[in-house]
Amino acid sequence: MKKCSVILACLLSLTGLIHSGAFGAEALKVGVILPLTGKLAKFGEIEKRSFILALDEINASGGVNGKKIDLIIEDTTGKADVGRSAIEKLISRDKVLVVGGGYSSSVTWAAVAVAQQHKVPFLVNTGSADRITEQGWEYIFRLNPPVSEYPKALGSFISEIGDVKTVVILHENTLFGQSGSKKFSKQCKDLGLEVVMEEGYEAGAVDFKPLLVKVKAKKPDFLYMISYVMDASLLMRQAKELNLHPRLFVGGAAGFTLPEFQKNAGDASDYVFSATLWTPSVPYPGATAYYDKFVATHGSPTEYHGAEAYAGMYVISDALRRATSLTRKGVRDALAATDMMTAFGPVKFVAYDKKTQQNRLPTFLVQWLHGNLETVWPKEVATAKYVYPVPKWNER
Amino acid sequence: MKRILPLALLFVLILFPLVVRDDYHQHLMILVLMWVVIGSGWNVIAGYTGQVSFGDAAFFGTGAYTAGLFAHKLGISAWWAMALGGVTAMAVALPFGWICFRLRGAYFALATLALNEVMRHVATLWESLTDGMVGILIMQTFVSKVPYYYIALALAVVSVLSIEVIMGSKWGYYFVSIREDQDAAESLGIDTHFYKMVSLNIAAFLTGMAGSLYMNYMGFIDPEVVFSLHDISIMAILVGIVGGVGTIYGPVVGAFVMVAVHEFFRTGFFGFFQKLAVLTGSGLVNTVAAYVVQAHVLGFGILVVMVILLLPNGIVGDWNKIMGTLFPVRKKGIEG
Amino acid sequence: MEVFLQTLVAGILKGGLYSLIGIGMTLIMGVMGIINLAHGQLMMVAMYVTFVCFHYLGIDPYLALFISAPALFLLGMVIQKYTLNPLMEVESILPENQVLMTVGIGMVLTEIARFLFGSDYRSVKTSYSSSAFYLGEISFSVALTAAFFLAVAFTVFMFWFLLRTDIGRSIRAVGQDKDAASLMGVNPKRITIITFGMGSALVAVAGTLLMPLYYLFPDIGGPFTRKAFVITILGGLGSTVGAIFGGVTLGLAESFGATYIGMAYDDMIGLLIFVLVLLFLPGGFKRLTKI
Repeated sequence: MKKCSVILACLLSLTGLIHSGAFGAEALKVGVILPLTGKLAKFGEIEKRSFILALDEINASGGVNGKKIDLIIEDTTGKADVGRSAIEKLISRDKVLVVGGGYSSSVTWAAVAVAQQHKVPFLVNTGSADRITEQGWEYIFRLNPPVSEYPKALGSFISEIGDVKTVVILHENTLFGQSGSKKFSKQCKDLGLEVVMEEGYEAGAVDFKPLLVKVKAKKPDFLYMISYVMDASLLMRQAKELNLHPRLFVGGAAGFTLPEFQKNAGDASDYVFSATLWTPSVPYPGATAYYDKFVATHGSPTEYHGAEAYAGMYVISDALRRATSLTRKGVRDALAATDMMTAFGPVKFVAYDKKTQQNRLPTFLVQWLHGNLETVWPKEVATAKYVYPVPKWNER
Repeated sequence: MKRILPLALLFVLILFPLVVRDDYHQHLMILVLMWVVIGSGWNVIAGYTGQVSFGDAAFFGTGAYTAGLFAHKLGISAWWAMALGGVTAMAVALPFGWICFRLRGAYFALATLALNEVMRHVATLWESLTDGMVGILIMQTFVSKVPYYYIALALAVVSVLSIEVIMGSKWGYYFVSIREDQDAAESLGIDTHFYKMVSLNIAAFLTGMAGSLYMNYMGFIDPEVVFSLHDISIMAILVGIVGGVGTIYGPVVGAFVMVAVHEFFRTGFFGFFQKLAVLTGSGLVNTVAAYVVQAHVLGFGILVVMVILLLPNGIVGDWNKIMGTLFPVRKKGIEG
Repeated sequence: MEVFLQTLVAGILKGGLYSLIGIGMTLIMGVMGIINLAHGQLMMVAMYVTFVCFHYLGIDPYLALFISAPALFLLGMVIQKYTLNPLMEVESILPENQVLMTVGIGMVLTEIARFLFGSDYRSVKTSYSSSAFYLGEISFSVALTAAFFLAVAFTVFMFWFLLRTDIGRSIRAVGQDKDAASLMGVNPKRITIITFGMGSALVAVAGTLLMPLYYLFPDIGGPFTRKAFVITILGGLGSTVGAIFGGVTLGLAESFGATYIGMAYDDMIGLLIFVLVLLFLPGGFKRLTKI
């Protein structure tokens, strides 16, 4: 009698069969995993919109060899285990040919293992922890540079300005922050800079003052921060309150390039530099067009994550077009042979250092000048002249 | 009579993966079975012994990391670690209990919550041991889910059976007496401290094993996932309470219901609204569907509130109440 | 030396705000023995109210206090009356059902907020949000200092309220012995409703004051609930002065921990203090004072 409820509950959980595929059998199925809800929802939304922007353009101009692409987007909620379930669903229930997306490093890391095991090609477009392409997995490709390369432009910039010797690194305690910080530390040593302090913090902290006061005591020449947007805003605001003024504030992309950063930090965001992977003014065809179209369609700005997703969609459709057979292996081989230009930059998957199937791109340096994010380095693509050293707080 | 239904259920469960070949549903059932184990563990310490723990994730995570570290650092197959996961969890339970059992009721619950969080921080910060937020990634031994399913089933059956045996024994009585009135039990000569520890260790062992299974099955863990207060500890409590505390089959029912309900809401009533939208082609239904999926956790939360309000003893515990509401019986007789 | 002083100041000021968060909880826990795991979420609701007031009505947070506190007072009363009080009637094996109920309520509040406002980060930027004044080299955040003084003011007010007013005394009576109080003509149900309302209103004040300094998103509640517990246990259940002590202690522990050990550890330090106090000083600071 009591067990009726058990059987009932059993049946309830068993009868969840829904057939996806409202499109005809002609459509090519592509899966995407993104954080659509949860803390990272904002970025997930930018990427989703960019994927769809690209998808509509591709399908409208005839699709792939006459067939339309059916994009199935699954929500990872920003958690690694949900991400794994999401990609498994795409692979085994929706039977996608290829997967794109992958926002946060830890979710992407968990998901690529699944893709590799099931031999499904996965084009990562945002997850940046280096190890993702260091495993020798032939089904995993990455469009974006790994986090260790984010500050590449910074390296040449520092050589240009010359008089920085000491640096403090602050990073959030996530895979992105921890690995980014380690890599940057190493890069500093190679550049001859002394890392006088390196510290992690739990994201979402209210009060960074104890941390910043320590930084102030060390009197570094510059401060490098790896944070998401709200921590970034608070860090800058509190640095202003404490009158902390190194010669240079640099962010490691992510939170520092978002418009929200400027909105929340206000004038504390002025003159902050950041590494970035893309700006609307980069010299790649379609970059500005993409930016303008996004703003026109959605009324809000986009940034490098969106560009990664947009380009990712194009790379996937290009591979589908070239694939000799529309199987997962066929698509995988086509991806490996990619050599094309996108709004995010040139895409060709190569092997270097410990990495395989990684796209190699230069990075840029941007600076917030009077509320606008200007590209300042390398000089060839700069939209404004950089301001260095950063003026002290009371001199603004 | 009492035996037939559980055996019938077992029969159905054994045949399940042979009949339902779909990966996705097998995955759901594996989760259910895992929660049966965790829920049973929680039930021992909380339902039967009355010490409501808010920190079972500490045991789960310990089991998971044991399995993971064995594979990752020592190169030993994570399967050996399955049993060890339970043992290391017990090792954690010892100081856990020693610290927390001095406290009663609400204070105990808070202390377990605090210790859960401490474990999570330790796992995040002790990078040399656990690799911190990088987590542990291992390649699963089997690509198909079926072997995992049977292992989980075996684990679940063992848990339920052992609970039945223990609760029928003298130990079971000691536990319940502690729950009902600890001081009275003490005065009757029952060493409450010892038995509380035993109870906690049983819970830890079971939960730790579930953690090791999780590591083997999912292939990836990190401190956020396995030491999660919300997703593990509180879910364990919900499984226990919704199913029915202090009952043997409560966790079984609770596990089914919670996983089904969670998935039900997450997929928007299993895509009911989406299907409806496609059928009717209506924009309005589409928007409703989008909202339902977005608000899935909200639906879940509301359900939790309702269940606690209306069925405080869980589905199994309040079964008579449920039956009475669904099928009211008119009593003709002396009572007017 | 500057590092030490700045850390000290940061800890004390932060502690003031923390104590405001804790004072609501200590009241609820002390009087009714209810562990309210939705405390942080109530604060979140107040913060959204403040946000709406600021963005849509142009009301400054310090004025919005007069809207958010009463609003939360009502919300608290409704929650207590319709979800928690009924639980106290029901016979159930475990008394902890009511804790779970608060978990459920917390979840519902969080999700409603997410539904209405999305997961985006919101903030309120006023002219004084980032401004600071200096005593020597030490910087004092204007908003945080104001919050500190308001916290002290509220504590004093609650102290007086509980000692001198009728309702206050009834609250203490119910906290000490529910049955005896009802024998003395106090209606415990009504008192619990009012107490939960007051606790909610107090945490609403904390939230509103925090708004200019921090930011807002639906999941913000959790960590603050935990801090509220630590403060409550440190200070002793039901003790308003204890809440200030607990809050400042936690603030100082976190600040010094962050500076001298490492910021990644500051949460852990709070937790460890929590466990230590639970073990070795079970009554909290209250032991050392009368109320």
